[in-house]
Amino acid sequence: MARYILKRILTGIIALFVLAAVTFFLVRLIPGSPFQSAATSSSVVEAVEREYGLDRPLFEQFLSYMGKLLRGNFGISYSNPGVSVTEIIWRTWPVTASLGTAALVVSLLAGTGLGTLLAVSKSRGIQRIISGGAMLASGIPGFALAVILLLVFSVRLNWFPSSGLSSPLHYVLPVTALSLYPAAVITRLTGNALRAELQKEYVLFARAKGLGETRTLWTHAMKHACRPVLGYIGPASAFLLTGSFVVESIFTIPGIGREFVNSITGRDYTLILGLTVFMGTVVIVVNLIADLLGAWLDPEMRRAYRES
Amino acid sequence: MKKRRLTGIVLIAALVCMAAMPGCVYTGYSFDTGGKTITVAINSETGGLDPAGNIALTYLAYSVSALDELLTFDEDGEIQYRAAESYEVNEDLTAWTFHLREDALWSDGSPVTSADFLNTVTRALDPASGSGYANYLFVIEQAEEIYNQEADMSTLGVETPDEHTLVFRLRETCVYFLDLLRLPVFTPSCETYADSAGSGWDKNPDTSLSNGPFRLAEYVPDQYFVLEKNEYYWDRDSVSLDRIIYRFFDDTQSMANAYETGEVDVATSLSSNIMELYEGKQDLVVTDLIATRYIYFNLNVEPLDDARVREAVNLAIDREDLCRIVGADTEPAYNLVAKYMKDKETGEYFVEQEEQPFEEDAERARMLLAEAGYPDGEGFPELTYSYPTLEMDSDTAQVIQEQLRENLNIRINLEAQELQTNYSTRRSGSFDLCRMNWTADFADPYTYLSMLLSNSTYNCSGIHNEAYDAIVARSSLETDPAKRLSLLHEAEQLAVGKEFYIIPLYSMKSVNLVNPDITGIRRIPASGALEYRYADICPDS
Repeated sequence: MARYILKRILTGIIALFVLAAVTFFLVRLIPGSPFQSAATSSSVVEAVEREYGLDRPLFEQFLSYMGKLLRGNFGISYSNPGVSVTEIIWRTWPVTASLGTAALVVSLLAGTGLGTLLAVSKSRGIQRIISGGAMLASGIPGFALAVILLLVFSVRLNWFPSSGLSSPLHYVLPVTALSLYPAAVITRLTGNALRAELQKEYVLFARAKGLGETRTLWTHAMKHACRPVLGYIGPASAFLLTGSFVVESIFTIPGIGREFVNSITGRDYTLILGLTVFMGTVVIVVNLIADLLGAWLDPEMRRAYRES
Repeated sequence: MKKRRLTGIVLIAALVCMAAMPGCVYTGYSFDTGGKTITVAINSETGGLDPAGNIALTYLAYSVSALDELLTFDEDGEIQYRAAESYEVNEDLTAWTFHLREDALWSDGSPVTSADFLNTVTRALDPASGSGYANYLFVIEQAEEIYNQEADMSTLGVETPDEHTLVFRLRETCVYFLDLLRLPVFTPSCETYADSAGSGWDKNPDTSLSNGPFRLAEYVPDQYFVLEKNEYYWDRDSVSLDRIIYRFFDDTQSMANAYETGEVDVATSLSSNIMELYEGKQDLVVTDLIATRYIYFNLNVEPLDDARVREAVNLAIDREDLCRIVGADTEPAYNLVAKYMKDKETGEYFVEQEEQPFEEDAERARMLLAEAGYPDGEGFPELTYSYPTLEMDSDTAQVIQEQLRENLNIRINLEAQELQTNYSTRRSGSFDLCRMNWTADFADPYTYLSMLLSNSTYNCSGIHNEAYDAIVARSSLETDPAKRLSLLHEAEQLAVGKEFYIIPLYSMKSVNLVNPDITGIRRIPASGALEYRYADICPDS
């Protein structure tokens, strides 16, 4: 197992290196300059670029950047004079991560709850409402939902604030917008898996032995039914923890997703690279933890890792 | 079994830690919002607050309330002294001496001195500062050479004979020098703290001192900044507000939403549909921007090198129709100089003092195109119009494409580009037709006319006209206002009405929502933007 983890960490580092290299050159392919604005004279843009070494051969700049990156230095943001990329990451990521965590918790609770209800309910009405609702919810794009929520609950009804993140009330609309899709997916995954488990013989056996319905469901069937959900949580949490630009932008939330898009439109090369490498790290780490958690729960998977 | 349980605990703990690390992050105000406070919604944070650094919209919002320039002009073109209390100039307008107000203090109580003005100038002349306005200092003796590292800073034509005297020696006569003083590079930065663009002094309330009515009290990146009344300001008795909070928003719809829900008191630069939504309501404040949106012809591309073709295209566009479609915040423009730029001598609008450079006439346009060798558009090459992917520009592009097809039977391809990409396309001159927008940097027609000079760094369309250069150069040296004005008109008529170097499209209005309880908001004559220095809250108004 330890060897497997080591291998995953090593491949993760190589992946990050490749990611940084590819991003470095791709970003430079986009026309524009971090010092260019509508009104800046071209001679001034050129002089400033020279001063920052952006006129040097690209490969030389690449080597210098990679050298700094290996020492853990992401550099200074071009469009925020005097602010380091690391500072920006530590300022924006907690905001995104708190929103993402809240959305993850909400979608897990709602998804497993509704999924269980879907599997155990005898009422066709409830089943239809839940599966129809989940189908509909997974079909609405996040940005459309965010706009609808904003218009109805903030602008029209004035129940919730429209922008910022300054109180628990501010969390309600963005978290709803972020969690609806994962909640729908988890509902369907849990519902289907649990229904299949409940048909199996060991459940029948447990019931025959006189084990209560609650214990049969939660200690036996759920343990197996949560495997597909766990497989989904890895990528979903990586998505939620790296921020959704659309939701952050609609609700004016100072998170990392919004910073990322602004850095691209402003051609803030160092910031784009820093954020890419950071988000890459988050995705790799979160997926690794989710995989290990899966292995811990699933003996078959564990065996496969051991053999690999 | 024990080992397995332990692994599980560690893994779950890791996941919980990752999730809990950020906790619940609240990004609210950490100050008292009592007293007279207004909250203003502005565009997302861009650039710093250092007048000598890489600045953009955020600085502009900050500086109108926090920094005093030497002097400024009011709506009627009368001088209003701010950091200076008088000035004198020599006969050929090359040596300008400003006497600074002796009672002017920084927001920490220390005096504002001439060295603080020099501090901004010298720092901006170092390209490392990233100042996009450094080129406006080039009117000063040796400034351009210093910027290009060809001369030493000691040779700079700025002198500070004593703490309250500031002298600018210019390389040649500059009649519009006083108008330049509102630019960031001419505003002071406190010598004690303002050392370099990269040290972060500008966003730290302890070191970011102001010499204007408000001082920086808090700066939270990406979210908001707070200005509080500067108790050391020389004219503090005229200032009524205790606090102005500027909140950053990504788009105009979010700003309008926040205004609707009462989260902000002022929302600026909104889209034109707000004009319909708020029609007849007191909240709606529409101001004229000193800006022209136009299209550059690339003169290096055939057949755009032919003035008849350029004239035909200009005459074939129906600007009234264009503005009707694009939005109520636009008005047809037939000049390069912004429609609402005033002539300070007479108080009239500059463009209204002259004959309209050309009249739209589709019939004549077809005739001109035929004369140029393209009867009914036959054989006319397909040209490409490059424009940024903003809603207004996309609508404009489609209307122009259709009008030119209908009136001249020529085909224009549309190339929508991301904003920065469009700037690059324009800078490199690799276009046929390219969209351009110019908001006046200072209140003089020269800010527009100088862009078409052969050696201008904004001239990216291959214009090279010695006659034009000579007229504009003479206008800068002419000290008689009436003669100068006629030279400026002559230059504009030549560039727009005879050579047709550009396609003027429209001038724009700024659509703002302002809480009707707020009074005393003024409009800055040079740019058309709103100013809150003397604003007040009167709930009964």
